[in-house]
Amino acid sequence: MGSAEEDYNFVFKVVLIGESGVGKTNLLSRFTRNEFNHDSRTTIGVEFSTRTILVGDAVVKAQIWDTAGLERYRAITSAYYRGAVGALVVFDITKHQTYDVVDRWLKELYDHAEASIVVMLVGNKTDLAQAREVPMEEAKMFADNNGLLFVETSALDSTNVEEAFETILKEIFYKVQKQKQRSSQSNTVALASENPASTAPAQAERRPCCVAL
Amino acid sequence: SIQHVYGAQHPPFDPLLHGTLIKAGSKPPTTPVKLKKVSTFQEFESNTSDAWDLGDDDDELLAIAAENLNTEVVMETAHKVIQNHSKLQEQHKFQEEHLQEEKQEEFAQLTSAACGDNRLVKSVSEGHTSSSFDNASENSSMQRSQSLPQTSIPPLTSGMADYSTSVTPALTEREASRLDKFKQLLAGPNTDLDELRKLSWSGIPKRVRPIAWKLLSGYLPANVDRRESTLQRKRKEYFAFVEQYYDSRNDENHQDTYRQIHIDIPRMSPEVLRLQPKVTEIFERILFIWAIRHPASGYVQGINDLVTPFFVVFVCEYIEEEEVENFDVSSLPEEVLQNIEADSYWCMSKLLDGIQDNYTFAQPGIQKKVKMLEELVSRIDEQVHRHLDQHEVKYLQFAFRWMNNLLMREVPLRCTIRLWDTYQ
Repeated sequence: MGSAEEDYNFVFKVVLIGESGVGKTNLLSRFTRNEFNHDSRTTIGVEFSTRTILVGDAVVKAQIWDTAGLERYRAITSAYYRGAVGALVVFDITKHQTYDVVDRWLKELYDHAEASIVVMLVGNKTDLAQAREVPMEEAKMFADNNGLLFVETSALDSTNVEEAFETILKEIFYKVQKQKQRSSQSNTVALASENPASTAPAQAERRPCCVAL
Repeated sequence: SIQHVYGAQHPPFDPLLHGTLIKAGSKPPTTPVKLKKVSTFQEFESNTSDAWDLGDDDDELLAIAAENLNTEVVMETAHKVIQNHSKLQEQHKFQEEHLQEEKQEEFAQLTSAACGDNRLVKSVSEGHTSSSFDNASENSSMQRSQSLPQTSIPPLTSGMADYSTSVTPALTEREASRLDKFKQLLAGPNTDLDELRKLSWSGIPKRVRPIAWKLLSGYLPANVDRRESTLQRKRKEYFAFVEQYYDSRNDENHQDTYRQIHIDIPRMSPEVLRLQPKVTEIFERILFIWAIRHPASGYVQGINDLVTPFFVVFVCEYIEEEEVENFDVSSLPEEVLQNIEADSYWCMSKLLDGIQDNYTFAQPGIQKKVKMLEELVSRIDEQVHRHLDQHEVKYLQFAFRWMNNLLMREVPLRCTIRLWDTYQ
């Protein structure tokens, strides 16, 4: 503790899910390190990265968990959905099959995560527009009907990557603010991890990953 | 019959021992080691003796370690390494990403120094991504690997430096005598597999590694006279599988498996061989055939990595070059390639037979091994264990991949191969 990086007001845990090979790892590395790797290796189990950004006046540390898309890892990876306040469900716009199974990913997410989790549908690989198999309108409509945020991105040429993460983090932030107002009115619920750097030297109060919504 | 061993244990893995280890973990921690009181290596070593494996050949090294290592020396040395390291960093003005790369390299060097068989396969460590193929970083990494013995030893301690120079020629002598030992053992009409396994614990010389691996995995019979016929039969059998099953890769019930294998092979460890189209084809066949013949687990990411060491070691059987990574596999005769493919398939199958529960639903084998690791760390380095616990770091978070890919993502290929001398 004590380093500049540790000075933040909120930690938001966000998970990246979706079929194998849709580009989850590269979306994350583009957002956290501005890197894209053409032959990035398969994610085994779960990995995570963080980046701290400003939302309004608040310093928000996004702790993003990148999960393996492979079916066999599901038992391991779904354990990481707990405590997540945001999720990016990623598909590849050039592979319809990866979009067809978004429903299944959502079901699994809601089975393991809090109902209030903010979910964004992300169609990745817009740089391969000539090979597009999923029309943007179709995905947009699906997102609207299911109460999901929606964006199309390209981790390769950076299109909308920043925007995608910023949008979901803002949305989470507003949700937390609203929750906070409500709870301060009723004076009952306190947000466990708010303002960890300034208020809580004690480890117990510093649950690193969760703001309850 | 030969049991396949997963996990670096010598004498080979004992299920009873394994059982007690897990039981011990489920009890409230009894903490046999009080780290603070331990001041010498001997004390530490004897306190944790059941966690170490002492092969005959290691006794000498351990004796040296016991004599020379005490905490002060270790800390002093560590300090000097760090100092020297930061000086180097200033010189090179590496950017942050390069620093990480270097740390991994250093880890790799330490491991490879422990391997004792540095010449085997020069490989690229995990830190090298596509970006490292530009000239500058390639050069610097070359320099680092070439100066390996010097960089892993603190240059300021003259005593240690002397030690290193005096040991180098002795090592080659040691290697030669080891090779002789292997050759003698392999010369008989019936190879004593227990003896071979014992000898292999301290590393198998490159020249006899292919035959040693094939024997230890149970692919080849101990009886010399039966080997050639076994090889022929097994190779035929494998290609009969290929004929029978491989066309089904685009069938509806198999296409998911094939698709996954197909997209994963370019995303494997960046060891260079795999990028050759010929190698890709071979890997796809091996993995697909294995997957549909083992429906309980099927293909799982990680299994693809396990083909590489076998393939590379068996390619070495047919080539003179020291460096496999730049070798053009398609220059080998078709028949030789087929032999390598079939041998790799069978040896990988044998290895996987012993660890299939790593890859079945919920991957119980891995969960069990991660628990064992946790239990082991809690006993031999309680401080680290407590630290992880305090920061709510779960062992599964970092050790899952270690187990799932048998450390292949963490260390360079040449070290994996050395490690696998002990798994066979």
